Amino acid sequence: MNQTFNSCPNFTTRLETASALVHKAIDAVRQKNIPKRNLIWLELTGCSGNIISLLDGANPDFKSLASQMVNFIYDNSLMAAEGEAAMERLFGMTGGDYILAVEGAVSTKDNGLYNIIGRWKGQPVTAYETIKKFGEQASYVIAVGTCASDGGISAARPNPAECVGIQSLLDKKVIKLPGCPCHPDWFMGTLAYLMLFGEPELDSRQRPLMFYSTLIHDICPRRPYFDQGIFASKLGEKTCMFKLGCRGPVTRVDCPIRKWNDRVNWPIGDDSPCIGCAMFGFPDKMEPFISFDTT
Amino acid sequence: MNDHEIFINMINDNLNEMGDTIDCLYTTSNSCVKNKLLNRLRKNMSNIAMLTQGLRNGASMNNPQPSADRLFTAEELSRYNGKDGNPAYVAVNGIVYDVTNSAAWGGATHFGLTAGTDVTSQFASCHAGQPILSKLKVVGKMTG
Amino acid sequence: MNETKRVVINPVTRISGFMEIDADIDNSIVTDARTEGLLFRGFEKMLEGRNPFDAVYFTQRICGICSTAHSVASTLALEDALGVTVSQQGRYLRDIIHGCEFLQNHIRHFYQYTAPDFIKLPESNTLFETDHNDFRLPKQKNDLIVKHYFDSLEYSRNAHEMLAILGGKAPHNHGVFIGGITTQATPEKIARLRSLLLNIRQFICDSMIPDAYAVAEYYKEYFEIGRGYGNFLTFGCFDGYERLDTLYVNPSTYSDGRIMELNPGEITENIYSSWYTSRQETYTPFETIPEPDMKKRDAYSWVKAPRYRGLPYEVGPLARMWLCGEYRNGISTMDRTLARVLEAKKVANIMLCLLDNLIPGIDVQKEYEVPQSAYGAGLIDTTRGALGHWIRIENQVISLYQIITPSAWNLSTRDRDNLPGPGEKAMIGTIIRNPDAPVELGRIIRSFDPCVSCATHVYSKGNLIKTMQVVP
Repeated sequence: MNQTFNSCPNFTTRLETASALVHKAIDAVRQKNIPKRNLIWLELTGCSGNIISLLDGANPDFKSLASQMVNFIYDNSLMAAEGEAAMERLFGMTGGDYILAVEGAVSTKDNGLYNIIGRWKGQPVTAYETIKKFGEQASYVIAVGTCASDGGISAARPNPAECVGIQSLLDKKVIKLPGCPCHPDWFMGTLAYLMLFGEPELDSRQRPLMFYSTLIHDICPRRPYFDQGIFASKLGEKTCMFKLGCRGPVTRVDCPIRKWNDRVNWPIGDDSPCIGCAMFGFPDKMEPFISFDTT
Repeated sequence: MNDHEIFINMINDNLNEMGDTIDCLYTTSNSCVKNKLLNRLRKNMSNIAMLTQGLRNGASMNNPQPSADRLFTAEELSRYNGKDGNPAYVAVNGIVYDVTNSAAWGGATHFGLTAGTDVTSQFASCHAGQPILSKLKVVGKMTG
Repeated sequence: MNETKRVVINPVTRISGFMEIDADIDNSIVTDARTEGLLFRGFEKMLEGRNPFDAVYFTQRICGICSTAHSVASTLALEDALGVTVSQQGRYLRDIIHGCEFLQNHIRHFYQYTAPDFIKLPESNTLFETDHNDFRLPKQKNDLIVKHYFDSLEYSRNAHEMLAILGGKAPHNHGVFIGGITTQATPEKIARLRSLLLNIRQFICDSMIPDAYAVAEYYKEYFEIGRGYGNFLTFGCFDGYERLDTLYVNPSTYSDGRIMELNPGEITENIYSSWYTSRQETYTPFETIPEPDMKKRDAYSWVKAPRYRGLPYEVGPLARMWLCGEYRNGISTMDRTLARVLEAKKVANIMLCLLDNLIPGIDVQKEYEVPQSAYGAGLIDTTRGALGHWIRIENQVISLYQIITPSAWNLSTRDRDNLPGPGEKAMIGTIIRNPDAPVELGRIIRSFDPCVSCATHVYSKGNLIKTMQVVP
């Protein structure tokens, strides 16, 4: 289905960024040129969809990440240990070296008691305490997904749990990978880059330029329709989704080329508009997602 | 230097940057660096498109002359919300612009704002100094 | 020795979301148990005032592993409110997307969530370190399932690839919408879907089902552990097609040995033990949405207590397989797990049937209009069980949005009659072999496939609470 683009160098090099980096990092780890870093994955106030998205990664895939690239220390969805034993693995990293990946925002209402992630020595541990404790000490902090980056849907008006993105709770600089969810390539590519070269070049919103620099509108295959003024009036049509409320013109990320789930499709390719899920301001400022009868 | 010259200078800056970028592209084989450079080229192209549009409009950066004599009250403006066959208009600094086909106004809304309203303060807090208004078609002025 | 030991497990890992199990063990028997949902965001409050069409995308973000379920329920509620009749092609397309979510979920639930309770994974990987050694499979059988654990990663992600072919992306798809789905089937898509599906089905039949039975062979007491009430409920699943009739199960309930048709009007929610207050402690879905109140005495969870005819009911794969008559072996932890893997095969077959009935190129989309006021309900059985969305529209925006998820049914708190929820009931009476490592509790609860991000979305309008105390 996407075979036609294989000959375009722009296209293929964009796709290769993540897998090339991950393979490079795995090779470097195997040859002991760089250490196999510890990775703590915290699921906080969110839907835990980013770890599912990570499991959906294909070339690079989750298996190579978890077995060859990093030591996966902690994750609520996947780890075998439970209860205090699980918490021990997390708290055992205190003072140690680790990269911290965080998905989900942080509920701050009433000292964070609206999101308890475990019990340590009998006391409840809130998401708020956890990010404060493990964020500053991490060698790198990566916000995975829009909720961790900018509050996202967890912070949607009226924000009952008083959620915030993690940067507002940390002095340490956070590398933001917004997206709802975050594409597995964006995460694995950034992580590999960190391990190999240190912090990648970031834009003014702390997003890696290698994934987040271009507006969807500027690389959208339906752009000629926009330029000619040929617009879809309902979902399911093959022309420009602008009149239906497409947020491609204000969203910076490489969905049109990278696509999703082993590059089979993407929202506009599915004849529905972009809803700006990778932007600060999602969801409140990106609504309404679907508008009919726009002039 | 008048605005026309400012625009030309900015276009030339972008073209020069593109030249440098292409030089770098010849020498790099690192796919990551290549991507970054290609992204930069796209940004330059997008800037040039915007600047040439500004030149075409022939207007200066932030002081457009209203080309229409139409006066709008707030209530009249509110009808132009982009629905029911009405075009989408917004008011900034007393000037009324047509954003019906403006890319950033998908569905006649933009970052939570709806067409048919005065967005002066929001524009000032987000886009001050950016050559955006010169790209837009002027359809009138607000009364009062 | 007669000593009451209190056991608290927090976090219960390998579920979706955050949960605590709090159990009392007397003489090695669980005498009391509570499941506590520990995440609250307030989706129902967030939805108020928004564009009704946006609910389809918004509600998906309640949960990352079952987001499709919410898009389907939301769409059904909107179709009910707008009076839209869905064409058969629209239903087939949407139900295929829904089926993909079933496959993804069940494969991941068996291998990533359940298997580490019973098989020893290589501890060279920190993620797999455990603190108990109740692993009974002989090395060869154990290692085969370990191999399948890693093999399964490809098949579960292929299920999401299938979802994306019709739905744009996964998780949080774009394709499900009023009328069916947004895009059209093409011969290429159908061929690709069939190819991926056959591979997945082969894996389910050749590996996943035998693996589940292999585990069952060595943990036979789990056929006696974790029964719960034995009341089952389903909103219907892959049912009521015009030409194909019902491919799985009709809306129905099972209680005291009798199967009866479901009457949605008898669904209520009770907040006696939940951190909410309201004028009415028990209410029907359209009536009210309670306010959070973490100070409430004797409350212990964000999860409410859905009831049918005043009683707790279990939902999920076992409920469905029981109600359609395909699985009647028993009601227990192990039966739940077996029913789930068997259901995966059934859903794969249903999807093949739906694929065979697709007509390429049919566009089911229209220009839809938001009514001034309307209300509707979307009830559908999904991966974890019965899911309901209730929407009320006033002045063309959402004025009320009530969601009752399968995990709210299964992990429900006690109501005023002090009836524990099904998950709690399932733990009570269990013999714990080693009270210092009560592995039985996590195993029982995981058989329900909890999704706490789903169970605790609820909130309401009104005053926000001012102060809080930790409920120990």
